[in-house]
Amino acid sequence: MEIERETNEGNSRRIQVRFITKLKAPYKVPTTAIAIPSDLSRLGLSSIVNKLLQAVDSEWKTEPFDFLIDGELVRMSLEQFLLVKGISAEKILEIEYIRAVAPRKEEEPSPHDDWVSAVDGSSPRFILTGCYDSLGRIWKQAGWCTHILEGHSGAISSVRIINSEGAGSVTVATASKDRTLRLWKFDAEDSTDHPARIRAFKILRGHNASVHSIAAKTSGDMICSGSWDCTINLWRTNDTDTNGDAVSIKKRKVNNKIEESQSEGEAVSTLVGHTQCVSSVVWPQQDTIYSASWDHSVRKWDVETGKDLSDIFCGKALNCIDIGGEGLALIAAGGSDPVLRIWDPRKPGTSAPVFQFSSHSSWISACKWHNTSPLHLLSSSYDGKVMLWDLRTAWPVSIIDTHKDKVLCADWWKGDCVVSGGVDAQLRISSDISIQ
Amino acid sequence: MRKISTIEGYIFFFSFQCFTLVKKKANEHVIFLSLFRAGDSPFFFPCRCGLPLVSFLSGTMSHQESQKLDNVNPLETRVEDVIERGDNDFLDDNHDQDEHSESSQSHQAVDESDSSEDEVAPRNTIGDVPLEWYKDEKHIGYDIAGRKITKKERQDKLDSFLASADDSKNWRKIYDEYNDEEVELTKEEIKHIRRLLKGKAPHAEFDPYAPYVDWFKWDDAKHPLSNAPEPKRRFIPSKWESKKVVEYVRAIRKGLIKFDQPKEEPRFYCLWGDDSSSADRTKHLAYIPPPKPKLPGHEESYNPSLEYIPTQEEINSYQLMYEEDRPKFIPKKFTSFRSIPAYENAIKDSFERCLDLYLCPRVRKKRINIDPESLKPKLPSRKDLRPYPSTCYLDYRGHEGAVLSISVEPSGQWIASGSKDGTVRIWEVETGRCLRVWEIGEAVQLVAWNPLPELPVLAASVGADVLILNTGFGNEEEQKRIKELLHIGTPTTDDSDDMSSFLSWIQDEKYDCIRLRHYRTVSSIEWHRKGDYLSTVMPAGESRAVLIHQLSKRLTQRLPFKLHGLPVSSVFHPTRSIFFVATKKNVRVYDLLKQKLIKKLETQLREVSSIAVHPAGDNLIVGSKEGKLCWFDMDLSSKPYKTLKCHPKDITKVAFHRSYPLFASCSDDCTAYIFHGMVYADLNQNPLIVPLEILRGHTSYDGRGVMDCKFHPRQPWLFTAGADSSIKLYCH
Repeated sequence: MEIERETNEGNSRRIQVRFITKLKAPYKVPTTAIAIPSDLSRLGLSSIVNKLLQAVDSEWKTEPFDFLIDGELVRMSLEQFLLVKGISAEKILEIEYIRAVAPRKEEEPSPHDDWVSAVDGSSPRFILTGCYDSLGRIWKQAGWCTHILEGHSGAISSVRIINSEGAGSVTVATASKDRTLRLWKFDAEDSTDHPARIRAFKILRGHNASVHSIAAKTSGDMICSGSWDCTINLWRTNDTDTNGDAVSIKKRKVNNKIEESQSEGEAVSTLVGHTQCVSSVVWPQQDTIYSASWDHSVRKWDVETGKDLSDIFCGKALNCIDIGGEGLALIAAGGSDPVLRIWDPRKPGTSAPVFQFSSHSSWISACKWHNTSPLHLLSSSYDGKVMLWDLRTAWPVSIIDTHKDKVLCADWWKGDCVVSGGVDAQLRISSDISIQ
Repeated sequence: MRKISTIEGYIFFFSFQCFTLVKKKANEHVIFLSLFRAGDSPFFFPCRCGLPLVSFLSGTMSHQESQKLDNVNPLETRVEDVIERGDNDFLDDNHDQDEHSESSQSHQAVDESDSSEDEVAPRNTIGDVPLEWYKDEKHIGYDIAGRKITKKERQDKLDSFLASADDSKNWRKIYDEYNDEEVELTKEEIKHIRRLLKGKAPHAEFDPYAPYVDWFKWDDAKHPLSNAPEPKRRFIPSKWESKKVVEYVRAIRKGLIKFDQPKEEPRFYCLWGDDSSSADRTKHLAYIPPPKPKLPGHEESYNPSLEYIPTQEEINSYQLMYEEDRPKFIPKKFTSFRSIPAYENAIKDSFERCLDLYLCPRVRKKRINIDPESLKPKLPSRKDLRPYPSTCYLDYRGHEGAVLSISVEPSGQWIASGSKDGTVRIWEVETGRCLRVWEIGEAVQLVAWNPLPELPVLAASVGADVLILNTGFGNEEEQKRIKELLHIGTPTTDDSDDMSSFLSWIQDEKYDCIRLRHYRTVSSIEWHRKGDYLSTVMPAGESRAVLIHQLSKRLTQRLPFKLHGLPVSSVFHPTRSIFFVATKKNVRVYDLLKQKLIKKLETQLREVSSIAVHPAGDNLIVGSKEGKLCWFDMDLSSKPYKTLKCHPKDITKVAFHRSYPLFASCSDDCTAYIFHGMVYADLNQNPLIVPLEILRGHTSYDGRGVMDCKFHPRQPWLFTAGADSSIKLYCH
């Protein structure tokens, strides 16, 4: 009755709608058709659903919902939406509702000593960050640093968790502006109040300029790195390198300290083709590497042959790339302009992006697909915002505006959190994002 | 009247009313026309005087005939051909004085007027027949009585010559072929001939300019020639005339005769002439038609329709408008005509009208009816010339004073900046992170990266010193090399070179670098493309104003040329061993290998501030302190190919992009301009210059705006350094 009264207030047209959902029991509303005013927008619809749920369960806490009509998120008033889409208002309209993708909780910031330049949240157990003070850090949770990775002589530009499956030891890789990559091993379960300082077990040398990004093979035995010297190097991560060991033993003797053995490694192969800085690499499948570069191109490489398979020309210097979507087919990339572009290489004309998201106001520094949902991705920008995108609408689903300055890196964590780091030297975690 | 003869187209008539007298020994040019009227003295009309007249009519008339003659028409004589002649005895024979008294009278009259010996009738009567006919005859003709005139005995030629030689009067003797006799001309005749030759009348006593006497004037005479009364016909209307008139009248009635329509005069005409057609006025003073006053409309009626009357709100809104924008007249409604008040602005208006008339500048403005759009040069669209920098995305903040100079590392990963706060900073381009700071302590005027990627050293000028700083980039080997390069064991006093007095290479311990101590303030630093040579310009350095340093050998040379004018900046050619030196007015181009001046480019600017060379090396842009930008095509001429006037204030720097066809200028007006500057490989095609974008964003500080601009070496991006202590990156 409340609903009736409320909807009576508006004197506009009414539409017959039926709310349906794929959500589980507490979110279900009765599927009877009701008449609602047509000038309602997302907020109005959400309050109606909440009212309906309250009618079922009197202790229901209000929850934001998003609404889908014919597979498209509603971002304007219903009347407008129907008009734009050309849907008849005479029939009973089926509106599917989902839980809104938005952070509901902001965790405490995790302070760093300098700009946070890289973050990896691919392991649910911890977060790995890289910082301009040349240290890498492992965060168990917000504000709780367990390990500090020490050894680089330049700012860390990229970090990647290679292998987090093992119960005890976890392998991670960091790339730095001192032209090296380092591999680290530590025990993730080992948690003390005081952060443990660890040293790299392997140093990978071979780039002639600062290394910009790392990507790890899904199996974890190889990594690749893109650098300012326009090349992509492939490295092995296993520590059965006898040649390198000898060097490190000598070093250890000279240093006369008790420390882990530190070996050096050389690149297995080099992928040459980019003409400018390789700013981002991803290794989504066993034998393909995607790279984005400042020479305005996105390239797909075959690992076995080292050949350049395809080329997407963008027109702007690119900073980040990620592969995701349905069947790992969509390429999302952002760069030196505020537009996040998504290409579908399966389409014949691949040079034109299939999606362009342009709500940012400055360079895009990172973009990441959600690892389970094929529709969601996030992007971070120098305008200090992290935006969550749903492919079903051209507007950002949610904007995280907690950073005070440029956001340099962002990633998903645990499937429902967004971790981001930036110039304000904070790692921020926005959690409780419900993505089905 | 009787036609006598025709000689060469002239027809001579003899009429019987007059008697003619032919002057026997007449001269060739004269035709005498004598008129005899009863009781009148003879007239001699010299006709055709001075013409080479043709023929002679000899005494073809018989005496009887000649007696019948009344009137004489022209007679001609010609001396050269024939001279009519009559011997005295022949004259006596022929002339029958007793035959007719009339004729004797007339002869007498002739005698009176002429000499007596002229009275000779022609002896021969054959007339005007060719003498050839008598060639073989013994006679030459017949006399008047019909007797044959026998030819004379032919004198021997020799005898005649001798006779003529003896005879002193021979020169006046003429042979008359016609009459077969010799004639001796008298003195009078000779005189007449002479006078005729001179073109005068033959008679000396003849006055050609005698006053004219109108013998036939009788109007005012007391006794007019005819005193008869007016005839009657003069008083009665003419029958024939009236017939003719009737004829015309009929013709007019029938419409056979048409008259031209009389031109219609316009009934009304402009009293003061037409204002618009000022054709006759333009001949004199330039006529300026007064502007047409607006015609009164309905709103000016005393009782206008309601829609013309403004509402109170509208009247209130007028108060908010500017005085000039307010409507001059506000329509108002009156019940009757008499209730209209007097016009309150009458005096004011007439005063202003007087002011207008007195002060209005009477200048004709030439209005040109050309579509201004058509005057614009046809330029390609900006969209087609992408990419070019347009939006500012990154800001490099950290300096505390005006950033005076920036320089981009050759790979484009870092930029260096020098500031008034005494620091040199290195920034990461991608993130805007300041990586390194050198505290120099004195305002850093210029910074310049070495163009070699493997030699990451930075030259910075601080007052009179140039520091060559080690940036610390590069791998270990490179660092080792750089450290060796930047290490000077002992302060080298360039052995016995006079350079040492004004320039010294000193090791700077504090920054671990080389300090090049100049003796004047350095205004420009430019690296050679190979990274070993460095040129510095000291505007106050006089003969040693432009120096070229060699880093590896630590040598300094001065430019061995005389510079006319104060040097401002210098730049190396990007590919060849050519060196450009910009003085305040000109740009001089030197070949360093041949050691000579190649070209002098005249900028025609007040003061050059900066110079940049196109990466191909054939084009040059020069920025000036008056805000003008000149583009020189070295192949075209020494004058600017294009001069662009864009900036209202000084241009501080100009820059070319290394790979994109872009160039930029930045100025103290806080803007930077981006231009498309395409240079074609085809020599026939001139460079294409298109202004693309004005980049704003900097704020003015202390009167200065943008101090420096540099392109990113690989991306179409522009860095600008502002006096507001920020560096901005404009991306495409």
